[in-house]
Amino acid sequence: MDTNQYIEVFLDESREHLQAVNDNLLKLEKQPEDLSIVSEIFRSAHTLKGMAATMGFEDVASLTHQMENVLDKIRNEELHVSTDVVDITFAAVEALEEMVASISEGNDGKKDVSDLVSKLEQLENGGSAPVSQESSSTSESQSSIEFELDEYQATVIAQAKEQGFEALHINVRLNDDCILKAARAYMVFEKLEDKGDLIQTVPVVEDIEDGNFEQEFSLLMLTKESKEDLEKLIHSVSEINRVDVSDLKVKDKEQEQPKAQEDEDPNKAKSEVAATKEAPANNQSAPKQSKTIRVNLERIDNLMNLFEEVVIDRSRLEDLGQKLKDQELIETIENMTRVTEDMQGLMLSMRMVPVEQVFNRFPRMVRGITKELGKEIDLEITGADTELDRTVIDEIGDPLVHLIRNSLDHGIESPQKRKEVGKSETGKVSLRAFHSGNHVFIEIEDDGGGINREKVEAKAIENGLLSAEHSEVLSDEEIYQMIFSSGFSTADQISDISGRGVGLDVVRSKIESLGGNIIVESEPGKGSKFSIQLPLTLSILTTLLVNVQQETYAIPLSAIVETMLLEEKQVMFVQGQKVIDFRGKVIPLVSLRDIFNVPTAEDSKEENSIVIVHKGDKMAGLLVDSFIGQKEVVLKSLGNYLRDIFAISGATILGDGEVSLIIDPNALVK
Amino acid sequence: MAKVLITDDAAFMRMQLKDILTKQGHEVVGEAENGQVAVEMFQDLQPELVTMDITMPEMNGVDAVKEIKKINPEAKIIMCSAMGQQGMVVEAIQAGAKDFIVKPFTPERIQESVGKVL
Repeated sequence: MDTNQYIEVFLDESREHLQAVNDNLLKLEKQPEDLSIVSEIFRSAHTLKGMAATMGFEDVASLTHQMENVLDKIRNEELHVSTDVVDITFAAVEALEEMVASISEGNDGKKDVSDLVSKLEQLENGGSAPVSQESSSTSESQSSIEFELDEYQATVIAQAKEQGFEALHINVRLNDDCILKAARAYMVFEKLEDKGDLIQTVPVVEDIEDGNFEQEFSLLMLTKESKEDLEKLIHSVSEINRVDVSDLKVKDKEQEQPKAQEDEDPNKAKSEVAATKEAPANNQSAPKQSKTIRVNLERIDNLMNLFEEVVIDRSRLEDLGQKLKDQELIETIENMTRVTEDMQGLMLSMRMVPVEQVFNRFPRMVRGITKELGKEIDLEITGADTELDRTVIDEIGDPLVHLIRNSLDHGIESPQKRKEVGKSETGKVSLRAFHSGNHVFIEIEDDGGGINREKVEAKAIENGLLSAEHSEVLSDEEIYQMIFSSGFSTADQISDISGRGVGLDVVRSKIESLGGNIIVESEPGKGSKFSIQLPLTLSILTTLLVNVQQETYAIPLSAIVETMLLEEKQVMFVQGQKVIDFRGKVIPLVSLRDIFNVPTAEDSKEENSIVIVHKGDKMAGLLVDSFIGQKEVVLKSLGNYLRDIFAISGATILGDGEVSLIIDPNALVK
Repeated sequence: MAKVLITDDAAFMRMQLKDILTKQGHEVVGEAENGQVAVEMFQDLQPELVTMDITMPEMNGVDAVKEIKKINPEAKIIMCSAMGQQGMVVEAIQAGAKDFIVKPFTPERIQESVGKVL
């Protein structure tokens, strides 16, 4: 039977069932006595088995079959739900996810499952499986190669493979007597530059560039070149001892399942499966029918890029219309503006995906970590259907992982301690997402010990971030924010779960790079709450254009409180710093002319034009020469050569073809 | 075998290089004592290969590479670097130098490099 036409449906449904099994297993662990959950899992496994057998995926079928046997025993109360049972079933689900992911990439979905099957058999026959064997066999069977891919990289590779690229692992060893290793490595990079895309290196590029490696380094590259050609090419560089080019092998397990989730989204988005953790599980068997097509994300990105060009041309037309004062032309342009605005809305909504796909992996992660830490913690997720721009979704995963780990490790106390202070032994971490205005908020709240002000203070003073006198005038809130400064960790002991003080500052800068911000609130003994504010979309901004001498700058409207005119004599000085009185509040005045070293032609005006911007509840006045007006602009990055320019987040092309820099007000408000 | 132009401000280094290259069957067609001279000689002699020291008076090796590349983008240049000049070497490679060797040289290393570049 030709089964190809069914493969998409098979994949969709398999993923749904696997997610359902996942959710239900987590529930089952909490309520081991609830046999209705076992029945749900059984049904999912059974459906999976049937589908897989029809499609000819034998390994999937045999594994689910064995799962089914175990579940059946539980259902008939012949077997008790123990941690072993749940652990092994989880391992089996992971293996299934890997197989499904591999099928979705066009492979045959084969995998050696005999080990898992025999473990399940053991369970079925009453004995507990030896735990040691489990960890070694499921996760670290391939340990020779050291690439670990994040979700994004895994997606890129999967897509590239669809387009006929190969993911190659290139290992280069330099001669032992090679002295300028970095320069040599640079030559290798240069040779490979136009042969494909470099995805990852071990060690990281910065280390290679600084020569911080033994004689050897590895590259992960997407290319259409043959292995032999690449080997030859690299050998043309001097002082190369050995080159090995092989197909990509990555650490098992971790990277397969995100891929499965990635592929899942379009489907999720369209069918709106109410798969929040608390949703009743029985809606999964209802057949899904919706009129959707799957589109490669790249195409949407391309469409978006083209559309951005249209927006640029539109502003050019607007300028022309004003200049020519032709009524018909102006009307046409106005109409076009309306249409493109609608298009923009549509296009943005296409890029929106539920934050669910990031949240999905957390229940299992929390489960794993709490076990490791010997704590008992419940994770509560709300608002998983909140939608965010794809780009933000891709980037937000790691910071969230970090914050959740942080809450689990440092936030929630040990069960004994919780008992002592009269809390329930089980801690609670809530993960919430919701819309508000033009922003999406993600909150992570725990009911742990809260932040210890004294400890933070002491640490900040010790690290020279704060002076002792200064610390006394700061509010608790202000002190708490110090944990985002670099080189900070208040945990008494360093554990491998939440880092060595290189954490929260990275989280903050990541979130700021996405145009968002993060604050922390905390109450001693009651817990802490991290709130992340994120913009809905990144690429098209509404800005205020201003003139600074002959140059035009754009300031994002979201950061602007208001604009004002101020006479020179109203500017005051505090400790040599210009300040102004803004509604009874003294705020610093920053001259953009000075900040950006704009060449000055004329000077000394009677009145100052000032844009008041804010960051959280802090404000500053930006001194400009004149306001031009509000404008939708397309944010273009400055590229790799001009990274990390102070107070500039990007550039845009204006209607008249002039390039204008977009100011990052966050950097100017201190 | 190749016609080579040697560039180094130290006569000793030029001698040593010339010796090694000649023994390997190459013909040293010119010796320049700084980048400026090298650029001029490159134009006159049209060598198949140039060795280029980095630190030199008048014009340093990196600038000389850039100038020579302007004259002939196909020019084959090997940088002769001392330890600790990583940044300069990378700059020279970016400017189009084909390879580099690190002082003190060994004949084998020079042979390898010349072989790969030509």
